[in-house]
Amino acid sequence: MHGENTQLHAERPQPICRMVFYTFISSEGEISLLVVVVDVNPIWWGQHAQSEPEFTLSKCLDAVMVMGNAHMAMTRTNQLAVIAAHCQDSHFLYPSKRLKGNDDTSSSRDGKYELLSVTNNLIAEEIRDIMSKTELTGNSTDTLLAGSLAKALCYINRISKEVGVAQEIKSRILVIKAADDCALQYMNFMNVIFAAQKQNILIDACVLDSDSGLLQQACDITGGLYLKIPQKVALAQYLLWVFLPDSEQRSLLVLPPPAHVDYRAACFCHRTLIEIGYVCSVCLSIFCNFSPICTTCETAFKIQLPQMVKPKKKKPKLPA
Amino acid sequence: MHFVSFTMASLSEEVLLVVKKVRQKKQDGTLYLMAERIAWGPEGKDRFTVSHSYSDIRCQKISPDGKAKVQLQLVLHTGESTTFHFANESTSRKDWEAAKELLQQLLPKFKKKANKELEEKNKMLQEDPVLFQLYKDLVVSQVISAEEFWANRLGGINNGESAACENKQEVGISGAFLADIRPQTDGCNGLRYNLTADIIESIFRTYPAVKQKYKENVPHNLTEKEFWTRFFQSHYFHRDRISTGTQDIFSECARQDEKGLKSLVTQGVKNPMVDLLSLEDKTLDEGYGISSALPSTSHASRTVKESSNFAIIKRFNHHSAMVLAAGSRKRDVPADQASETSSTDGNSRDSDFFQPPLKKVKLQEAIEYEDLQQENRPKTVALNLKKSDRYAHGPVPLQSQQYTTSQDIINSVNYIKHEMSNYKPNLTQVLSSAAASSAIAALSPGGVLMQQVAQQAINQMVPTEIQAELKHLYVAAGELLRHFWTCFPVNTAFLEEKVTKMKSNLERFQITKLRPFQEKIQRQYLSTNLTGHLECMLQAAYSKFHIWQTRRMMRKT
Repeated sequence: MHGENTQLHAERPQPICRMVFYTFISSEGEISLLVVVVDVNPIWWGQHAQSEPEFTLSKCLDAVMVMGNAHMAMTRTNQLAVIAAHCQDSHFLYPSKRLKGNDDTSSSRDGKYELLSVTNNLIAEEIRDIMSKTELTGNSTDTLLAGSLAKALCYINRISKEVGVAQEIKSRILVIKAADDCALQYMNFMNVIFAAQKQNILIDACVLDSDSGLLQQACDITGGLYLKIPQKVALAQYLLWVFLPDSEQRSLLVLPPPAHVDYRAACFCHRTLIEIGYVCSVCLSIFCNFSPICTTCETAFKIQLPQMVKPKKKKPKLPA
Repeated sequence: MHFVSFTMASLSEEVLLVVKKVRQKKQDGTLYLMAERIAWGPEGKDRFTVSHSYSDIRCQKISPDGKAKVQLQLVLHTGESTTFHFANESTSRKDWEAAKELLQQLLPKFKKKANKELEEKNKMLQEDPVLFQLYKDLVVSQVISAEEFWANRLGGINNGESAACENKQEVGISGAFLADIRPQTDGCNGLRYNLTADIIESIFRTYPAVKQKYKENVPHNLTEKEFWTRFFQSHYFHRDRISTGTQDIFSECARQDEKGLKSLVTQGVKNPMVDLLSLEDKTLDEGYGISSALPSTSHASRTVKESSNFAIIKRFNHHSAMVLAAGSRKRDVPADQASETSSTDGNSRDSDFFQPPLKKVKLQEAIEYEDLQQENRPKTVALNLKKSDRYAHGPVPLQSQQYTTSQDIINSVNYIKHEMSNYKPNLTQVLSSAAASSAIAALSPGGVLMQQVAQQAINQMVPTEIQAELKHLYVAAGELLRHFWTCFPVNTAFLEEKVTKMKSNLERFQITKLRPFQEKIQRQYLSTNLTGHLECMLQAAYSKFHIWQTRRMMRKT
């Protein structure tokens, strides 16, 4: 059922080439909303484009467009949204405010399904716009991923309310990540993850470069898929194979197994990951070494010395 | 069955009753009821072949009245039973009754407080299958003794008893208990009323006057049967209570009820917010509400039908009030009318005790909301965080920071700007066949990304019986280890003994339970190491014991 990609043709009676078909049966009228968050960090992309010219931001966006088209072509009720996570802000590529403006420029010349061609054009316009407006401030070189995820959640919330209570809507977020994690966004990230979990929104992650602990946690908590791609050039294939099916369909497929997630906490003094540590009972801050005063809340700890004459080492029972 | 052979002469017990011609197991003989036991000896012999002490007997069973064979069966605690057949033609029934009565009186005295502990233990074992399994594994197979097993578990049987009693709910009175006495026609112009003990109790609880009468008259003047017959015959019970002034023992009850009802009415309703008077029937038929017809309350102007309706409604109200009063009264308060002070009972004498202005209290309750009040919580110490930004920080990734110069940054940004300024989606050239094929290969089972799928979950490889057995082993081992580790630190001689015993128990457990299990799974060619962790735990216990022992030796020398 998986073949090569070609363009998707419209319903007009024209010679139809090889098509990509997923013949899954979805329930009647159920809306599936896919929000793709693309990391368009210009610094990272600029650097990597120079070292790897065969995979550039253009190629990445092309792959995202193919997946978006495929998603919208599967069922009439499927919806798509694309957000670009920049280091200055996060921006909606689709649906964008330009949607209402122009009808004439959206006519496609190759007989494509109208919606798809409109989408593609809009995305292209928007990204050109964003990248041209990139300004160097020098302070922030990190992608504002937590903010983009929050925007995605808000959008999903809005759409869920717009379709009303009677209509079932299932949403998921796909994050295509390029640059490294930003430790400063940790708190916001965790909040976003838990909000998504509460709303039953899956967060999938497709990582291009280096593993991201935050996204691993996000995928584990919300029930999504985390995948680090060995070949960036084949991004489209990975997107279509792994991330296109929704959660119901995934249970029927054989997909890469979930990775082991490192849930260890970091100590407050050195920010190293520890397995066993000391926790202040007042402020719940974690330390790797014992100190008689908690440095966060300045509570003094009293330790009872053993009253026995002969100090017997009390060995704790091994955890079962 | 005890076969006790005492000779009659050596008996020093007091014989309470002798019944001749009692057959047991198709043999004629004599039944002797003594002070502490019951015995039967065959005719002509001196010995008793059957002898049971009263404490062994759990209960006695009698054959129903109508049967020709008059039998008495004794059921022992152990479950065995002995049957005696009273075969004397003329006096069998009398003998049987006498024997039955005597036994009824004697048995309760000797009833062994069926070992409460044993019952408790049995109950615990029955309720908790895990505990039962543990018991089987450890005690039945002689790994530890029963006392040790129950040592920590039985704590406070007496507490448990009283707690159970407190939790018992009191049974209320059904409002329809009088209706339950459905009278049935006897066939010959009589009525048959079925009174059960429950109904009798309900009547006594609801109408203390009747109980009083019962106490006064039974069994001196009337038998129980006569009392109840009179009760049902009297007008007191009947629907239309016409006080005819006959010398009925219940006419006084009727008068008391009237008084009670009157006092109830004068008491009124306690809740000041409820206005009962506004519930009067107002009819608009006469004069369409314009002409005011005064409702007549005098008895004289009532028709016969009206007055009987009036009477029955009065009866109903009184009955309901009594039922409610009885339900709210505590069960164990002796129903001594003089000492009743419940003011909800219409028949009580003292109902005028001081009541706080209820209306004010009710209004106050309605206005104020508890959670809007000023909270009087105990003073707490505020949390004083000096470095709260520590919480906002996650773990810093360990990768080496890639230092980028500002020149790099400028270059990159310019490059990407340039690239994207001419961006046009080219969807026909997104993927090459080679790339796609290699990606598919990586994603297929056995590929680079799918390595872990090949490993089967361990619980799919091990059969369920083995899993269950392993669980039992863990539970048993956990129990033993718990006993072992609680001995430390070893302060007293008792603990020293216990720790040594526990160590030997652990070794015994390992030999009798663990080794066979290991051999079994080896025979089944299961390569997984299921018992490694158990062995590890046992080893830790052994090494701790060894350390303790060497220290002890060192101290002694």
